[in-house]
Amino acid sequence: MFGFLLGEALRDLRRAGRAAVSAILLISLSLAALGAFWLLSSNLGQAVDQFRERVKIIVYLKREPSSAESGALVERVRRMPGVGTVKFVGKSEALGTLKQVLGKDAAVADSLPQNPLPASLEITPTAEGSTVEGARSLVTRLSALPETEEVGGGREWMDRFAQGQRLLWMFGLGVGAVLAGAAILTVATATALVLHARRDEMEIMRLVGAPEHVVRLPLLLQGMMQGLIGAALAVWALVVCYAVLGPRAEPLVTETLGIPRLEFLRPVSVVGLMLAGTMLGGLGGWLARGRPEP
Amino acid sequence: MIELHRVWKIYSVGPVKVPALSDVSFRIAKGEFVTLRGPSGSGKTTLLRLLYRDDIPSEGEVEVLGEEVSRLGRKEVAALRRSIGVVFQDAKLLPGRTVYENVAFVLRVLGTPRREVTSRVFDALRTVGLSGRAQAYPAQLSQGEAQRAALARAIARKPLLLIADEPTGSLDEGMAGEVLDIIKDIWAGGTTVLLATHQATLAATLQRRTLTLQAGRLIKDEG
Repeated sequence: MFGFLLGEALRDLRRAGRAAVSAILLISLSLAALGAFWLLSSNLGQAVDQFRERVKIIVYLKREPSSAESGALVERVRRMPGVGTVKFVGKSEALGTLKQVLGKDAAVADSLPQNPLPASLEITPTAEGSTVEGARSLVTRLSALPETEEVGGGREWMDRFAQGQRLLWMFGLGVGAVLAGAAILTVATATALVLHARRDEMEIMRLVGAPEHVVRLPLLLQGMMQGLIGAALAVWALVVCYAVLGPRAEPLVTETLGIPRLEFLRPVSVVGLMLAGTMLGGLGGWLARGRPEP
Repeated sequence: MIELHRVWKIYSVGPVKVPALSDVSFRIAKGEFVTLRGPSGSGKTTLLRLLYRDDIPSEGEVEVLGEEVSRLGRKEVAALRRSIGVVFQDAKLLPGRTVYENVAFVLRVLGTPRREVTSRVFDALRTVGLSGRAQAYPAQLSQGEAQRAALARAIARKPLLLIADEPTGSLDEGMAGEVLDIIKDIWAGGTTVLLATHQATLAATLQRRTLTLQAGRLIKDEG
């Protein structure tokens, strides 16, 4: 029976002609847009994760502690929640690092009357301490230490970056939603045209006592097939774009974002896109299913 | 088999109420061949539609195959219709399908197994004399052949009741005779038949029980 209904749905799909093609293309377009934003966002997410791992929180101290005091301070900070590793950097070590950074201009540092750099603690947060909320409470705790002069690090920039990633994702979702809405309407229209074309068949089916689900299922299946074909096309377009543009964009991406290579969508995301397309199409078919008999 | 008790069907056209059937009562027993006669607009089609529950009466009771049709839910209506074959004046064949596919279609939608479909379709086509036209499309059929194909579609499901609404209305005398002979054969096989026609001579030729409708009223029940 299901094979027969599937055959009927295929016959309807052929009958829908241009309307079905438009619906399939719109579904492809909306899912390709969604997939492209998804792909960008997941690569940005990867970059954010990498930055997060590299980001250190620096606690500048009011004065340089003695070696016994610094050992106790490091131990106290290490026990704080969200703290991974703690390294004490003395004033002279900080100056040495500055000289290394200055390179051939290191003599400038030697001309200073005294070492202006403060002693500090370099803290690498744990994964828990790397989240926006975790980092915020860690900074609050570190600021409350009596030895602390100031707390700094790359967190604000990284948080803005993560926020940008979320914005991109929301934008992609918005564009995808608008296109998906248009696709649903197009599928509904395409299916409604088929509904009009096959009203004689539906009349005969009802006249001979076919169950209502048998009368309607071909329309739903037709919509789902349109959606599935559209999603497959969208994934194919994404694969082609990734294969063509990926290698060209990779050097730039590596340079700016620090990730070794652009990753394609994970298999689970591809399956998600295919399912989304099938459901979009099914929804269109369901919306166009017409009214049952009174 | 069929029982109508004081059935009224009234259509509202704006504020005006138009009775299509007025106080109609009759019974048809299992295995009968009954002709429903009356001029165009006398209410024949309205009455037939009540029988296969395409409409419900405004008043009164319509009982078909032991079921009071007005009270049936959607599933029960579908179940009732599986026991009724209906043929119309225009054959209502699906134009994109061959004769074979038209007959097979109704069997498939009712879940008949594929291997059973072929034999039942050819049995039905043999009964109506269309075995040789199985692969023809409706546009390639004469009106008489199209009506016979519609009959094949109606009887392939082996219905208990055959309702024929002006099946010969658009046929010439020769073709009409052929179609009537087939309907008589179907009746002889045990199917109850209710045939509506506006042709008085045709009803007379059949020499069966005849119900006569006029302006929605049953004015005669004879034979």
